[in-house]
Order: sequence, then structure tokens, then C-alpha cells
Amino acid sequence: MADLPVFVLSGLVSGALYALLATGLVLSYSASGLFNFAHGATAYLCALAFHELRSGLGWPPVPAALAVVLVLAPGLGWALDRLMFRRLARVGETAQIVATIGLLVALPAAGLWAVELLAGLGAPVVPAENVFGLPGAGPSPAVSWRLPGGVGIDSDQLITWVATAVVAVALWVLMRHTRLGLQLRAAVDDRALTELRGISADRLSSAAWMLASGLAGLAGVLATPLLGLSAHDFTLFLFVSATAAALGRFVSVPVAFAAGLGLGVLQNLVAGYASFAERITGFRTAVPFLILFAGLLVLTRRQRTAGTAAADAPPADHLAGLPAVRRQGPWVVGAVLLGAAFYTVTTPFWSGVLAQGLALALVFMSFTVVTGLGAMVSLAQATFVTGAALVAGLLMGRGWPFVAAAAVGTCAAALLGALAALPALRLGGRSLALATLAMAFLADQVLFQIGPLRNGDLGWAVPRPVLGPLDLSDDRAFGVAMLLLTVVAAAGLSALRRSPAGRAMLAVRSAPAAAQASGVSVVRTKLLLFTVSAGLAGFGGVMYASFNTRITATDFTAMTGLIWLAVVVAAGVRRPQYAVVAALVFAAAPPLITRYATDSPHLPVLLFGLAGLALANDPDGYCAAVPQRRAARRRARAAHAAPAAAAPPEPGPPASAATPEPAGGGRDGVRETGAADPDGPPVPEAGRASPDGGRESGAGTDGASAAEAVREPVHGAPEPGAGRASPDGGRESGAGVGANRAGAAPEEPTGERRRSALELDGVWAGYDGGSVLRGVDLVVRSGQILALLGPNGAGKSTLCRVAAGALAADRGRVRLAGRDRTGDGPVARARGGVLLAPEGRGVFPGLGVAENLALHLPRPADREAVYERFPRLAERRDVPAGSLSGGEQQLLALAPLLHRPPAVLVADEPSLGLAPRIVEEVYGLLRELRAAGTALLLVEERAAEILGVADTVAYLADGRVAWCGPRSEVEEDRLTEAYLGVAAR
Amino acid sequence: MSRSIRALAAAAAALFLVSACNSAADGTGNGKGAEPGAAVRGVTADAIRVGGIVSMTTASGYSKKDTDLGARARYLRANAEGGVNGRKIEYLGAEDDGQDPGRNMAAARKLVQQDKVFAVAPMSSVTFSGSAFLEQSKVPTFGWGTLPSFCGPEYLYGFNGCLVPMPGGTLNQTWPEGLLKVLGGGKGKTVALIANDSDAGKFGIRTFSQGFSTAGFKVTYAKPSVPATAVPSDWSAYTKDILRSNGGKAPDAVVSVMQTPNNIGLFTALKRSGYTGVLSDPTDYDPGLLAQEATRKALDGVHVLLQFQPFESDDPQMARFKADIRKAAGKDVPLNMHMMTGYMSADLFLAIAQKAGRGLTPESFQAAARTFSDTGTLVGDRSEPKGQRESFGCGALVQLRGGRYEVSVPFACHPPVPFK
Repeated sequence: MADLPVFVLSGLVSGALYALLATGLVLSYSASGLFNFAHGATAYLCALAFHELRSGLGWPPVPAALAVVLVLAPGLGWALDRLMFRRLARVGETAQIVATIGLLVALPAAGLWAVELLAGLGAPVVPAENVFGLPGAGPSPAVSWRLPGGVGIDSDQLITWVATAVVAVALWVLMRHTRLGLQLRAAVDDRALTELRGISADRLSSAAWMLASGLAGLAGVLATPLLGLSAHDFTLFLFVSATAAALGRFVSVPVAFAAGLGLGVLQNLVAGYASFAERITGFRTAVPFLILFAGLLVLTRRQRTAGTAAADAPPADHLAGLPAVRRQGPWVVGAVLLGAAFYTVTTPFWSGVLAQGLALALVFMSFTVVTGLGAMVSLAQATFVTGAALVAGLLMGRGWPFVAAAAVGTCAAALLGALAALPALRLGGRSLALATLAMAFLADQVLFQIGPLRNGDLGWAVPRPVLGPLDLSDDRAFGVAMLLLTVVAAAGLSALRRSPAGRAMLAVRSAPAAAQASGVSVVRTKLLLFTVSAGLAGFGGVMYASFNTRITATDFTAMTGLIWLAVVVAAGVRRPQYAVVAALVFAAAPPLITRYATDSPHLPVLLFGLAGLALANDPDGYCAAVPQRRAARRRARAAHAAPAAAAPPEPGPPASAATPEPAGGGRDGVRETGAADPDGPPVPEAGRASPDGGRESGAGTDGASAAEAVREPVHGAPEPGAGRASPDGGRESGAGVGANRAGAAPEEPTGERRRSALELDGVWAGYDGGSVLRGVDLVVRSGQILALLGPNGAGKSTLCRVAAGALAADRGRVRLAGRDRTGDGPVARARGGVLLAPEGRGVFPGLGVAENLALHLPRPADREAVYERFPRLAERRDVPAGSLSGGEQQLLALAPLLHRPPAVLVADEPSLGLAPRIVEEVYGLLRELRAAGTALLLVEERAAEILGVADTVAYLADGRVAWCGPRSEVEEDRLTEAYLGVAAR
Repeated sequence: MSRSIRALAAAAAALFLVSACNSAADGTGNGKGAEPGAAVRGVTADAIRVGGIVSMTTASGYSKKDTDLGARARYLRANAEGGVNGRKIEYLGAEDDGQDPGRNMAAARKLVQQDKVFAVAPMSSVTFSGSAFLEQSKVPTFGWGTLPSFCGPEYLYGFNGCLVPMPGGTLNQTWPEGLLKVLGGGKGKTVALIANDSDAGKFGIRTFSQGFSTAGFKVTYAKPSVPATAVPSDWSAYTKDILRSNGGKAPDAVVSVMQTPNNIGLFTALKRSGYTGVLSDPTDYDPGLLAQEATRKALDGVHVLLQFQPFESDDPQMARFKADIRKAAGKDVPLNMHMMTGYMSADLFLAIAQKAGRGLTPESFQAAARTFSDTGTLVGDRSEPKGQRESFGCGALVQLRGGRYEVSVPFACHPPVPFK
């Protein structure tokens, strides 16, 4: 036990590096919701830059370190955020995971390529290979001291500790005592709400990525003496740090930091004391991954159990209506051509490449099962491949026939798959991905180190099968056999998808609880998914090994599995055919590139990594993008054709459709604008004609807005031709919509005209092509409460989102105080004075009461005033808002507004789930806001209470305003009609 | 069964028939070479085409790219001397396999099927998944025999023999015998052996335990205990055990069977703990390592095993090697063992090809190899096919002192001992 202090102290060195990396992971995750597999690669790149500055350019250590940590690393983070992460934040989790995996290989390649290029230009760079014992930020060689008690430390360790401690303090100050820190924590808590509060998530994202990269840079500089310049080691280091981030649930910086330190110590203690494990080869190597696996399994909060269905909504199937011949025809023709090619055009070399690609296609199809069908990201597929091939090789070595050995190998893989399914019962998303990755490393380091299974470095011979007259030792025959197996597997998977079991898988994927309620066993379905996938991977592995005629335990490592996933997802993971395309591309691209493009070994890797960037635009892969883009083009053409004839062209063509909007365009928007781009010249047209057009002219030139402003006199005089349902109009036309009325402007109910604060003009909006709002006209005036009533599904919440800019209008205009703000995103809208209190509570549950207030009221004096007014909040100022009662939360959301009343408040069901007494209090606050001049748009399903406070009432039915008028004219029948949707037209 | 599946099945059946007919008719397998009357692959009237496979770019920062330079240097000289039996060597340069088994395989197939090389020399990587293909395609291949593929197959040759002891084979005793000389000989010297926690590390410990015991050492510590992936930041757990292993005292020698980054950490930690005995490892003979002050300090005093003439030797062949390298590189470059690997892989290939005579075919080459032997080369006395089963058994120890390597045990050959 005398060694304990030594082990603890020196364990804190790697612990400090883990802590720095884990903190960066948490920060970047909070900012954009994506787990950055490339974080270690960032650290590597910084270490490389440090090495070049220090050894190549001869900079002194401290300036070199500062340049890397304070300039280069944040710059890299900023650039990556702008190019990639910001957009990735809006796509599904699978695409996110894969994009950063691409980056993981691309960043080191980019660094090495840059060194190569600089060397070619004659810059004084030094090679980055075979360099060890590199100097860190301190003296080199390190100065060492011997402390009493036999503890030895050196200057590199000391620098690591001091730097980490300084960072810890600085981070604490930043997160707890600065506005940026508060906003970052708010974004972690509820990213959407942050935007609705006028805090730009993009700006936060940039800040967080710069910070995270800076930390990675620091870790890189500090780790240089320890890890040298091994990108591989940096990445492994990162995976261990992921344990710490997982312990902090990817949101808590302090927990992740502490867990990182603890992890280093724990690892050292195991190395020092785990002599019990000496008999298990690889146990010590595997310790970090054991901890990662156990940590994820035990400590991860149970979230969505199956995958990430919410984020990974499938794209519309644009070929759905086509007959089977049209759908499958191209694939069948492709397969026949490929088969014929083997015996006609391909040289032996290309036959080999294609045959290998087809064998790999079987492996790749296993991703279609587990990730495409099950929406679970498995990074352990390479393990199944190795396992099956080793078992089959072992048996063939004992004289088993090929078919039998392959069958047993496949079963062994399926068994491993069942094992891998166990964490999936508990985890989903990135936690599951990390858990399977940990399993893959465990298998590499322990399972496949078992001598009798592995047979040393020699491995096992896996001869090509000879089936009767069919000798597959010919590459062409092997290729055709693989083609057949691929076709059978693809057909089988398609059949599986359509079978009851496949439907169960889809059900579990999208709603496990509901699936369970309808009698689908979640456990059985997930087991089935993993066993089928692993079996298929294993079978493909045996075939691939038999193509090589040998398998060794190191042929397919955990990292290989990572790359495979990236390759498959880049092509598309939803249909087995895409996996075949991916495999063929994977096999054929390297020889094609070396032959026709470049000899640099770094460029292909770089290109592959950048495929991740493409995923940000086409999250469903390049194969799926083809029909999607074609369909989008057709849609766009149809949409352009119809109104273009009717509407007079607007002067001045709209701005380029290719430029994505800064903030507003969601995932749909990005895709659509991108898709419309190659389609030729956009047809000039009136704003409301098409989705694109609407958004563009909305994003608008100043001239356009000015024109709007002129058209809208300050005091809201009646406007010609604008079909809008304002209170006055409604009264005129009765149950009809405003379109009936033209320019009639009777007196206001209050007898006084007020400024129109928020105005929706012919707004259409919806999700993924389906319209929810279909021409909504609505005006909310300052100092008025407009109650929006309507049945479930009428589009009330959608209308709120459009008003707040959280959802872009497809057509029509949104004006604030007369100015056109259609193109603004939520942030700009919030800064323009529109505040949305979303359904539920508009508070950040993870932040304290005081912090919630501080987001809206930066001045302490204002907060004190709130406390005076609401002593209940004062009593609980340090309590997390999430643990307040529903009523208190609603008070917390509304109270700060009284001190800085917004121009417009959109409140989506403010009374939801509150006791009647509290509802009364909340309404009281709303009345106060009205008195302060705020225009209020209240959405309620419960009509009775709201009628007590509303000045104006509008009924929404079927995506339109069915009636709008002063409260006094609300009649019971009309209410009923509106709710039943009878009077929709 | 839906229509689409039926269509697919029909297409598949048709393809199956085509392939069955074709392969039954063809029957020769692999569709490469062997056309009657056709020229030998890669051999023309005045040239022999040769390729290479080398790990150049890697994710681990370890590169063997100078292997290519070494081979190029040797072929340049061969061509300057008139080639082999009237044929010049057309060396295509080495393919980079990036330490990736898939790319190693692809490189082998490309060299044979697309570039149509007669031989592959050098092949130096940490993986050799192309070995089975090269063997089947009858491509004489020469490389660094640290992989078991160089032990057994007919067409694959290690430039200094097969370096992976096989049960029933023999052990190279250069290291134990050399260290014994360093320690001043005598009985009862103690040694600690340490390796990575992996199957390969375990195997290394097994072979060297036996080798050192046979040479008369008492092995006090022999554990594959160091994590095989990332380098430990702290070595106290290992140094503590090693330094107490000899009945509470430190052993006379500590032998590491690990790569450079591990050795730097281990040796630094041992020295800081006050260890003054002999340190030794088999990987750190690389003058390039001396560029870094920290490495120079960590490795100072370490005896490094090498299985070829040290660069410091005054053998005339070494002088010629240095001149050849300088000529190929176009300038003075620091020498390293990868250059030697490439150079001597090419050298062994040339020597056997010379013996095979003018009528060069894979068969005549193999026939020449079966009775090949020569003596006094930079890797000692060579003979095949013995070299496909065991190491040539020669080696030297060099010691790093004050920033320079010095020969501590001169290059010599030791009789191997049986490996149990």
C-alpha cells in the first residue's frame, strides 16, 4: 500500500489529459448536440502543429504552445463549426456520428499532407514520422525531482497539473460567472428555448467549439511528450475520455472533469494492483474500455431506448408510387451487367477488386439491418466479422468442410451479436455507439488475444470453397458467387423489412413504449436485429476471409468497423442496395484514385473524411440523395410552373437560392435550397408563390421591406386587397374568412386604433411537404390579448412557431410592427421583440431560478425587483427551475417579462396543467403585460377561462382562421362550430 | 414472393449458370499467368520488373518508408553493374499499405495483376495479408521476416531469415549471448523481460525466457504486462515489480521487447528509480531517434540488438552500402534499419536471381533458391530454404553512449538452440 500515493499522483497525469479532453467533448456536445469522435484527432493536429513550430521552425516552447492553444486550435474549432458542425446539429444522430468519424481520419491526413506540401515548398518543417520523446511545453529532457516517500515527478507532469488546474478554475469562472457561460449552460439545457430567447445558438456554437478545440489543443501540447505523434494513440485516448464525458452525461462540465481525473487514477491503480488478471492476456490493455463499457451501462440515464428515432426521421419515399419494375429495375440491370462484366470486360485485377467489394457488401448490409432498420449505431461490426472468420478458419484447420465451418462461424457471430444487443436494451444513440465501440475494443484486446482462437500472428487459412463443378478459386467465379449471395441477401432483407418482424422493428425503432403496448417485445426485437445483423456480418466476414484465403486476428479491428460505418452511412443505410454501392465504391475508389488522380496517400483519406461534410447536406446518404433531389427538382418545377403564370413578376430577381440562410432554414430548408439550385434560373415571382420564393424575398432586400412599410401606414389603416382576418374584418363577414372582405374598416372594439404588433399575412407552413397552416391571416395589436382557439391538430402550435420564427413560413408574410420579418429566424425574431413561451414551461430546468432570471434581466437590480414582487421566487433563487412546481415555473417564465415587456408575447397554452387558482394568477400577469403595451397571442384549448381575459378571439380550424372577432361577439354555437371544424370554409 | 424478388432470383440463376459453365470450362483457376507459350510475368529480354510493399504513412506515426530507398539503392548498383544475367531491374517503387491489412492485400494484387511484377522486394509492414495471394501467384517476395508469413511458404523469404520462432524450430541466441558478454560472462546473471499485454507480447516473453534461460541467465521477471494500445503515462507499477524481482533486489539486466515509445518511458522510469544495470531492447537502433534530446537521454547506455552489421562497422560492404544509399538519396541522409531491410531484401533477391541464370521463371528461381547459400554478407551467412524456417542466427549489440552508437558486441553468428 506504500505505493498508493505514487500511483494516485502519477495517475493524475493521464487523468488531467482525460479531463481536458472530456471537458471539450461536453462543451462541444452542449453547443451543437453532437459527440465529436474527431476530438482526439483535433488534439493530434495541434500536437503536430506544436511539433512543427517547436522543432521545425525553432520557436521557443511557451510561445509555440500559446500559439497552438490560443490561436490555432480555436481557429480550427471555429472553422469546423462554420463549415460543418453547425449544419450537422440539424441532422439525425447517425449522420452526426458518421460525419465526425470521417473527420477523425481526415484531420490527421490533412495535417500530414500540409507538412508534405510545406516541405515541398521548402519550408523548414521536420518529418512527423518515427519521432519519439518529443519536447513538451517545458524543458527537454524533462527535469525530474524526487519527493520524500519515493515519489518522483518531472517537469512535464508538473506542467500538466498546473495547466489543468488553471483551466479548471478558468472554466469554473467562465461557466458560473460570465454571461457567455450562463448562455452556454442554457443551451445545454434547452437549445431551442435559447434561440427563442434571442440568444444565437450559432454564436454559442462557435464559442463552444472554439473553447473545446482550445482544450483539445492544450491536451495535445501537454500529451506530446507522452504520446508522441500517433494519431491512433490520440484517438484511443479520446475514447477513454469519452467515459468521463459519459459519466458527466455529456452535459456536466465539472462531473466530466472530475471523472477524467478519477479515471486516470483508477487506471493506474488497476495497472498496479490487478495482478489477479495476469492470466488473462490483454486485460490490462483493456482496462479503459472495461471502464467505458461499465460506465455507460451503469450510469447513463435511461433515455429513448431504441436508437434515435426522433432525430432520424426517414425521408419521404419518392418512388413509393412506382411499380416494382421501375423501383427494382435499375438494380437488377446493374447486377446483371456486373455479373456479365466479370466474364467480358474486366481484367483479373478489376475482377478481384469487384469480387472483394461484393464480399464486403455482405458485411456492409449488416449495417442496413442494425442502423438502417433498427436505428441503432453499432461500431462492433468488425468484431463479428473477425469472430466468424476466426471460428470458421479454426474449424477448417481441423478439416471441416467450408459450408459447415462458415455456418458455425456465422452462428458464432450471431451469438456475439446477441451479446452486443444487451447494452442496446438500455442505451441508445451515442451511448450505444460508444458501448459497442468499447465492446469492439474489448474483443480486439481480450477475446481475439486468446491463443487457440487466434493462432498467433499467422491466423488461419480459409481456402476458397469448391462446390461440385464450381471452383471459386477463380476470382471471376468467386465474384459471381458473391453477386448471387448479395442479391439473395438484399432480397431477403427487403422481405424482412416487409414481414411482421420487420414491422415490429420499425415500431420499436420509432416508439418502443407504444410498440410494447401493442404486444411487440422490445427485447426480442432488438435481439433479433443484432443477431441477424451480426450473423450477416459474420457470414460476409467468412466470405471476405475466403477471398483473402486467410484470416488473422488483426485484419479487421475496431477502427476498421468505424470506417466501415462511415462508408456505408455516407452512401445510405436505409436500403441494402445502397450498402452494395458503398462496398463497391470502397473497394474500387482507392485504385481508381491512385491511377487517375493523385499519388499522395493523404488525399484519398482526406476526401473520404470530407464525405462527412456531404452528410450535413444529405443526411440520408448520396444514394438516397439521387431520388430525393430529383423529386425535389420535380416539385420545385411544378411549384414554379403554376404560379409563375398567374403572378406578375417581381422587380429584381431573388437572391441566390444556393445560399443557405444564416439561421432560419431548418434541415428541410437547407436541403431544398440546395436541391433547387442546379435546376436553372429561379422564376421571378410574387413572394407567396412557392416555398423557395417566399423565403427568399422574405430574407429580402431592404427595398422590399421598405415597400412593405410604406404599404402599411403606421396606424394600421385598412389595406387594399390584403385578405386578412382582423377583428374588424371578422365581424363583417361573420363566419367567413377575411378574404370576403375588402377594405371595409369599421371601428375598433375599443374605439381606438392600435398599432399592429404582429401580423401574419396569408401564411402557409408545415412539415416535410405537408401543410398545416394554409393561408392564415391574423393581426395582433399592441396592448391587446388575442386568444387563438381551436381543436387539436388545428395548427395552433405551428402558428406559434411560425410567429416566433422557429418554423419558416412556406408562403406568406410575417410582419413585426409593420416591418417584414418573414425571413428572420427565431433569434432575429426574438431580438425584434417576439417572445414565445412554448407549450409546457418556458424555463431552463437545469438552471437555477436566479440564472433563469438573469438570462432575461442581466442587471441585478431588475432581478431584485422581481424578487420583491414575487417573494416565492426569492425564497428559491438557488433552486433549479426544474424542481419548481408547474405554477412557479410559469411565474418564473413570465415574471421577468414584466420588467422588460416584449413587443409581442406568444404563449402556447400557458394554463396547461395548472390548478385553477394558479391559472388565475398567470392570467393576471398576462393582463399586466397587456397594460404595459405588449401584444399577446394566447393559444388555448380551454376556451372558458381565456375568454375572460381576451380582447379578441380567433378560431383556427383546418389550418385557417375560421372566425375572428371581439370577445363580445363570441357565441356558443360559433365556438362549437369552430371546434368541430364545421365552419372551416 | 413479390415480383421484384422473382426478377432478382431469375437474374441470379442466369448468372449462376454462366459462372458454373465458365469455371467448369476454364478450370485452371485464378485466370492469371500460365498461358502456354506466353512470356514469364515481369521478365522480358532485357528487364525484370520488381515491386515493393512498405508501410509508409500510418496512423501510429511509425513509418518504414526508408525501406524503399534502401531497395532502390541496391537496384541502382545492380543496374550499374550490368544487371542480372543481362537483364536490368525495373524497380517500380514501393506501394504504401498504410499498415492496413486491406491495403496490403490490394497492393499485392495490384503489383501482380496490374503491374505484372516478377517479384516483390522489399515487403516490410506490420501486416502481410497479401502473403497468401503472392504465394499462390508464385511471386518470390523478400522482406523483413518479423511476420510468421515469412516462415514456411515457398515463395516468401526474410532478408535475414524467418524471425518468428516456430515450435519445433530454433531460437536465435544472439541477444542472450551478446548480453552475457556485456555482463562479463559467468553463471547466474539475472534478467527481467517485459513485453506488451497481447498475444504477441506473450509469445515474445515465452521465446526469450527460453532463450535467456538456455544461455544461463536466471529470469527473475517475465511478464507481458504493459498495455498494448496507449503508452502508459506512469511506469511506477512496472518498475516497482522489476526492481524487486531478484529477491527484493534489481536484476542485472532489463530487456524490453517493446516499441520505442514504451522503451523511452520504461528506461526513463528505471533510471529515475536509480537502476544502474544493463538495459536492452531490439528496436531502437535508429540514428534518427538521436535528434530529440529527451530520447537521447532516455536511451543513453541502452544496448540495442540488431540482426545485421552495425553501421558503425568498418566492413567494406558497409562502406559500399553507405555509398549506395547516398547515391540513391542524392545527399547524405541519416541511416536507419529500414534502409538496411530494403537493401538486403533486394540483395537476397538479386543473389538468387543471379544463380537462377538467364532462363528466369518462378520455377527456375525457386530451384536456385533451394540450394542457395553464401557467406559474409551484411546479415551474415545466408542459406535457403533454411532461412524460411529460422533466422540466419547472426547479430550484434550496439550501445548508445553520449549521443553516439558504439558497437558493444561485434557482429557474429551464434548456433541456434531448439525451441520447445
